[in-house]
Amino acid sequence: MEKVLLISPERCIGCGSCEMACSIEKEGEFRPAVSRISVHRFEGGQNVPMACLQCEDAACMAACKTGALSRNEDGVVAVDKARCIGCRMCVMACPFGNISYSRVTKTAFKCDQCGGDPECVKWCPTKAIEFLPADTVNLQRKRAFSATMAKALEEVKG
Amino acid sequence: MIEITIDEKKVSVETGTTVLEAARSAGIEIPTLCAHEGLVREGSCRLCSVEVTERGKTKLVMSCMYPVTREGLEVRTDTDRVRSARRFVLQMLADRNPKAPVLQALCSRYGVVPNVPENVEPELCIRCGRCVRACETNGTSALSFAGRGWEREVTPPFHEAPGDCVGCLSCAEVCPTGRITWEEKDGKRSIWGRTFDLVVCDRCREAYATAEQLRHAGTDPETARLCPRCRKTAQQERIRLGNRGV
Repeated sequence: MEKVLLISPERCIGCGSCEMACSIEKEGEFRPAVSRISVHRFEGGQNVPMACLQCEDAACMAACKTGALSRNEDGVVAVDKARCIGCRMCVMACPFGNISYSRVTKTAFKCDQCGGDPECVKWCPTKAIEFLPADTVNLQRKRAFSATMAKALEEVKG
Repeated sequence: MIEITIDEKKVSVETGTTVLEAARSAGIEIPTLCAHEGLVREGSCRLCSVEVTERGKTKLVMSCMYPVTREGLEVRTDTDRVRSARRFVLQMLADRNPKAPVLQALCSRYGVVPNVPENVEPELCIRCGRCVRACETNGTSALSFAGRGWEREVTPPFHEAPGDCVGCLSCAEVCPTGRITWEEKDGKRSIWGRTFDLVVCDRCREAYATAEQLRHAGTDPETARLCPRCRKTAQQERIRLGNRGV
């Protein structure tokens, strides 16, 4: 079954283990700046980890003209580095800042859920990031999460 | 699926796969300069030549443009004939562009010594057309080839600052020799003789993109007010607010 990355910010203690695990896995170094997941630490001990949402209607994918971005069989929006021409349209289009561009490799990079075995999940000590089967219950949780986000967005806009 | 042989190795590929792709899938490396997997193939650098034997006939073809259509095709990627063809091409490319790092590396591999003729000004452009194809693929077509023979060059129309350019820099990113340069300072980005004012992020005040680039990517105007990094923070703020039941 397809799996989804579920984030529960209320459980996050802001330790940054996910950022470390991600950057060492993907770039071979402990450097949060190149991590595909990042934690924002707000005052009052509130922390929010954030990674690509693998949007159903992905703006990055729509902006890519070379087919370097496509959805794989796991439902993940994946970057085919060999096809990336470095136009950065995906970075411009993502409303959430969840895809970045590396001037070193000259390609876009984003969370690919580590091909089905996310490192961030393995190292999160509080289960603030979970990787669970996309069954009804978990999808409902993910939708509820998106709904609170949408509601907050309305508040901000209003 | 069709079975072919590349350097004595059996390889199964889909009909229509190019010999270059087939070789790569089998872990056999063929040098190329103009091929880019995100762009249409043009066969302009002539470096990826290989020998193919089909129905008893052996010929030299460009592997990036040669589709596999028949069972039993035999490909050889490293014969004397292939090496000599590649050396010939490399010699011509290096004689005109002796300082291109990518050519220098290939020259030392193939034993070619660049020999720049007296009346030739060293350049960096090998006319592979990657930039032109990248711009076209991106839907901007601000660049093209002009002139013929020795005079052939990549340029915006009429050698003027290109009106259709969005300043995305992909031409520079796909250039194999580093010929295409650009500059970014004081909130401005310059490329091909055109200077763009960069859009400033509402939050962190960083100049992060050209307005043309954002428009071309179809970015929602509300989204475009923030740079990608601040968009993320904004999203995290929303999550935090949502979580507190706002």
